[in-house]
Amino acid sequence: MDFTFNCKRKRCPYKNYNFAPFPTGEICQGVFNGLSVEVTDAQQGRSLYDNGCYGKGSKSRGGPASGEQDETLLLGLEESCFLAFYLGKLEIKSLSGDTMDWETFLNAAKELNERFLDNLACYLYLKAKNWVIKSGIKFGGDFLIYKESPRLYHASFLVIVQTSDDGDYYQPKNLKGVQRVAETSDKDVLILRVSQPKEITTPEDIQEITVTETIVRRFNYSSFVQSKQH
Amino acid sequence: MDPAEVVEIQPKTSYLSPEELIELRHKDFEVPAGGLKRTQNEGSAAELQELHGALDALRAQLSVPRIERLAGRALATWNKDQQVAEVLRKDGKFENFGHSKQGKLFLEYYEALFLLEVGRLQLEYCGTIVSIEQAYVLLLGESESERFTHYLVYSALSRAGYIVVRHQAVQEAPVPITSADCVWAVLKEKLGNKPVPSKIKESPLFTAAEKRMEDLKQLIIGQKNQSPLEPGPEKASGFHFDTRKRRAQSESKGQSATKRGRVVFAGTSLVDQLQMESPYGKFQEIFQKFDIVRLDTKNYSMDNSPPDSSLQIIFDLHLHNEGFKKRSPKGPTFNVIILPPQAAFPTHDEIFTIQSQQHVNNAQLLVISVSESKQIQAFLYFIS
Repeated sequence: MDFTFNCKRKRCPYKNYNFAPFPTGEICQGVFNGLSVEVTDAQQGRSLYDNGCYGKGSKSRGGPASGEQDETLLLGLEESCFLAFYLGKLEIKSLSGDTMDWETFLNAAKELNERFLDNLACYLYLKAKNWVIKSGIKFGGDFLIYKESPRLYHASFLVIVQTSDDGDYYQPKNLKGVQRVAETSDKDVLILRVSQPKEITTPEDIQEITVTETIVRRFNYSSFVQSKQH
Repeated sequence: MDPAEVVEIQPKTSYLSPEELIELRHKDFEVPAGGLKRTQNEGSAAELQELHGALDALRAQLSVPRIERLAGRALATWNKDQQVAEVLRKDGKFENFGHSKQGKLFLEYYEALFLLEVGRLQLEYCGTIVSIEQAYVLLLGESESERFTHYLVYSALSRAGYIVVRHQAVQEAPVPITSADCVWAVLKEKLGNKPVPSKIKESPLFTAAEKRMEDLKQLIIGQKNQSPLEPGPEKASGFHFDTRKRRAQSESKGQSATKRGRVVFAGTSLVDQLQMESPYGKFQEIFQKFDIVRLDTKNYSMDNSPPDSSLQIIFDLHLHNEGFKKRSPKGPTFNVIILPPQAAFPTHDEIFTIQSQQHVNNAQLLVISVSESKQIQAFLYFIS
């Protein structure tokens, strides 16, 4: 049985949606507000969301679409880190107005999420394969990855990031739990196991990290055997 | 004799008429539907009546004589020392059960118990017939063991329609090593830095192949050095269009497909499908700029670490319509690993180790987990 991935197109009005995976044009300005990076300029926010679907509107479910004047674009930790230090399309400032460099941002992010580096490595790994990556919190995982855009497709995978010292998701009840949640919405569970990183001081150092992929899928053995009996 | 002393003997067992026998052979009982389920004790008359009705139905169901054809069952006797049931008399099809040893047919404990449950076997132990209830203790053992989970999986898969047999490690058929194998091994060593497998190295053909490759290499290097000095014959006679039919380039690709067995290398991603599609190509340069986190491609198959004892392939599954033969089984469709309740799921590396041990057989690995509530669920693994 070869592996084929789920990819369900949405019934949507955006038939000829023209997308680029990266924002083009000027460098956007974002402010790290302690939880996420906020882009206040509406123009820049739209450019970030339209090209690569980064972030989430502060008053909308998806991209900034409420039409209200004070709606901002909120970028997650991993995506803002990616946009700022790997793509160079975002400048992150702290609340006091100083530009945050890699180290300060990394420390701030690690304080919010001690597994930030592992998540970032997985983010980069998947981003380099042209997936659109969104938070997976609503399905109980780390990321949801989409083909092209969440406007066009349903997510194909629920990604779970694992470090080598936690085996939590290999506990049967946990794995079966996320399995079932993912399966009812036509997703697969993708477990990315991240190797233990060494000291990481520059954005390039993250290449020390390697990942392995595991997809576990529930299998209906009785319908399989019945399908073979004709 | 005094007729008063004659005692009429009443037989203790009564016999059923043929009609009754046939009727009772497949007696279906329908439990009377009782409307909505009660969730609380009311103590009302209606409730009491329902309760009596249910009990009566249960009693009626249990007190029906069990009719079975005595000759319709195979006979086996349990050998406690060897933990096998020796078949004394076969009945019906036995193609998918048991294993022969010295002309006798033996059943494993799970096979015997399964046949017993479906009413195809009469098991005897020390000369007496074993009831099904006794058989559970006798065959699965009194203390808790993996036997119970294994039996659960065996019976569920058998009932689902698979042929379940104990896993047989596929003996690597001693494939004769051809010189082509040697050439491939040399190429892999030179180009891919992969060590030559010892069995190929031992082949007498290997040194010859290595020598020939070396000669060819020298020839090619020598040519390269020569070419700028003396122009080739073609150049001297001017451009000449080659009209001969040339071999299509794609043909050479076929060779890799003929490679025996399956070489397991870690390192193909399962999620890189989008790289084939259009937006990726357009932005390839940018993508490559941050394509720095890599798939772990270390080649585990080279270190022959001892297998993890907790993870073992227990059963092989075959499909019914693929001509299964006990003597010479073809490769199974699935290899089954059984996870007892509470056991953690195997990780990428564990699955990889097992897959690389499977060598020749192309069976898919099926991980079957038995939950605390004795439900079984199968899982397929796909790994990078």
